Amino acid sequence: MRTSADARNGRRRLRSGLPWLAAALAGAIAASAPGATLAAGNGDAYAGKLTYWFWGESDIPGINKWMQQRIAAYEKLHAQVQIDFVPQATDTLIGAFRLAAQSHQGPDIDTQWATLPTLTPYWEKAAVPISDYVPASETAQWVETSENTVDGKIIAVPIYLIGVPLVWNKQLFKRAGLDPDKAPATWSDFLADCAALKAHGITPFGMGNKDGYFGAWMFAIYLTQELDSLGQIESAIGDTGQFSMAQFGGLLRNLYTMMAELMQKGYLNPDVASLDLNQGWQLFPQKKAAMAFTTDGNVLAWGKAIGEANIGVAEPPRWGHGKLADVYDVTQSSDEFITSWAPDKAAAATFLAWLHTPDNLKALYAETGAFPADKRFPASAITDPLPRQLYQLDTAKQSVWLENYLPPQVDNDADLPAGELITSKSGTPDQAVEIWNRVIRKWRLEQVPAFHQYQAWAKSNG
Amino acid sequence: MARPPRRRRHVPWAYLFIAPAVLALAGTFAYPLIEVVRFSFYSGSLGDLVFVGTANYQGLWEDPVFLTSLLNNLKLLATVPIMTVLALAIALILNAQVAGWRQYRAIVFLPYILPATAIGLVFGYLLEEDGVLNRELRALHLGVLARDWLGSATNVVPTIGSVIIWQQLGFGIVVFAAALLAVPRELVEAARIDGATGWQVQRLILIPQIRRVIEFFMVLEAITILSAIFTYVFVLTKGGPAEASSIIEYYVFENGFENGAIGIASAAVVVLLGLASILIGAYLRLRARAAEAG
Repeated sequence: MRTSADARNGRRRLRSGLPWLAAALAGAIAASAPGATLAAGNGDAYAGKLTYWFWGESDIPGINKWMQQRIAAYEKLHAQVQIDFVPQATDTLIGAFRLAAQSHQGPDIDTQWATLPTLTPYWEKAAVPISDYVPASETAQWVETSENTVDGKIIAVPIYLIGVPLVWNKQLFKRAGLDPDKAPATWSDFLADCAALKAHGITPFGMGNKDGYFGAWMFAIYLTQELDSLGQIESAIGDTGQFSMAQFGGLLRNLYTMMAELMQKGYLNPDVASLDLNQGWQLFPQKKAAMAFTTDGNVLAWGKAIGEANIGVAEPPRWGHGKLADVYDVTQSSDEFITSWAPDKAAAATFLAWLHTPDNLKALYAETGAFPADKRFPASAITDPLPRQLYQLDTAKQSVWLENYLPPQVDNDADLPAGELITSKSGTPDQAVEIWNRVIRKWRLEQVPAFHQYQAWAKSNG
Repeated sequence: MARPPRRRRHVPWAYLFIAPAVLALAGTFAYPLIEVVRFSFYSGSLGDLVFVGTANYQGLWEDPVFLTSLLNNLKLLATVPIMTVLALAIALILNAQVAGWRQYRAIVFLPYILPATAIGLVFGYLLEEDGVLNRELRALHLGVLARDWLGSATNVVPTIGSVIIWQQLGFGIVVFAAALLAVPRELVEAARIDGATGWQVQRLILIPQIRRVIEFFMVLEAITILSAIFTYVFVLTKGGPAEASSIIEYYVFENGFENGAIGIASAAVVVLLGLASILIGAYLRLRARAAEAG
């Protein structure tokens, strides 16, 4: 998921912020030494170095350490293999790999955000499908692989899941005369709760959009609810004819009109335009805002800050009327793939598959609190009520994070600025839609090969 | 009878001696420049370039974000005369050698040596809608002056301009103060003997004496504003809200690095280069005229 990192096309993915509960959950599961049954592949014979460009810390604080521990354990098991761990910055994640791909030098394994940022290197022949090197019996255990599946092949391996629930402060709800145990389920419920909170001098919803990520999240959460299928957005952007830009623009207009109304009614914090996503999030644990959208990791951290009993979590209130209105906004966020120039792709695949062994999955949860993206991870390992509730939300329904389906350029140059235009009150919903139209036109003209690949992909998805 | 001028011998192998320097200059300056101009006529990424003629230049003029960026660069040029006047005024005061002038000079120079990233962080915090500046204004019952300095499309460019002035001012002060110290004291003393007032000494003696330094500073700052303020924009606003504070450098960064659209980014660089060249050309012409006038 794209979350803030703010780095503007520097991407911003779902970032869970805060040190998430590593300590709180450490006791829940016994950390086990990575035992090691290699999942698959024939890379055992490989002797040499694998360079791994990894990103994940801004989604899952602590995951770098977890990965380094896994690498050390793997190197112990395979003395002839050396894995060079190179953490990547959010701002340069896409650009650095693009440069590496041009010279076919750099990582043997790379991390990108899900779907378009991952499929694009595959289309540009810089990545190879991991499903060519890992048996289907193994990949069948991974969750969210549909985000990175093209031509029947899985391009990348997921590591963790991140969901974005609505959180509310029960104390502030109570102070406003609202039922502290009842989440606003519909949009009218949400507006009524906002009105009551505002009437009691409480900021109803606290977010930050200086970096454009709140707007991008609203797009991911709420435009999805207006769609009947993902094919609609793919068709509009890929210009395949089934769903026009005008139709897409109509949905966007509704979304930005809704956001403008929230601004106009004062239901968002007045400084939403001058805080970035992370800064805006701080309003909730500081009890300066009654509700927010945030990541699973932040919910758990905030639970520690203001008491788990004071936090409610639920799906975002229903606003849209499309067939996808009932999906939940969860994604693998980032994923790992093998580069086309890796000297021994099977060896790289063997290592990636090994990360999904049960011991490693448990260690991931125990050490970072992140939910592993694997069906073999036992839900029973989650014992605390709040994480259990989050895990249930993440796994109960079809999951979609719509931002993944945007070409990075469109995400960066249209999705983020259009939302900023609304929250900074410097433009109208129509002008926000015009940004999308202009940027998509520009992307089609400037990135002709990428556009054609997107178009073919959209057509193949039906 | 005057001796005829000695004819210089043409020594072809002398070119060998300058060849390394010529090659180094060509490699470090000419080649990148030629490549940038060449890329500006192509579309796609480095490994997959497609010739598109002047389409990238046409695309620039049809792209409102580029036009906004260009306009913002031009708006920010207004900071140059402001910082020049302020720097000159402060340098003249320091030149009067008021008590502690050396310490003041060091203090005003401090912002100039701060990294722009640190400035971005500090000013980002100070200038939030609920930041220190607005809180102080409200505490002083001046809430009417409080603004969303960086989050509003209206305020963001003047705010960035103010931060640039704040940082660059110290450089101007030090340059002008050094130039003023080099003005011969006899000139000032002679003027005073002739009955010139302090203001007249400054206006008619000191400022004209350092005119070339002032011109140099202004041209240098104008070039800086056109081509070296990326960091301010990146750390303060990342071009937002909604690209309202984008500048050409940021536009180049977004298109070239983030979007991989090397053609359009190169075209924007060529435009930027053209603008900077005009400024440099104007400055050189000014200097030449001044030299001719004696």
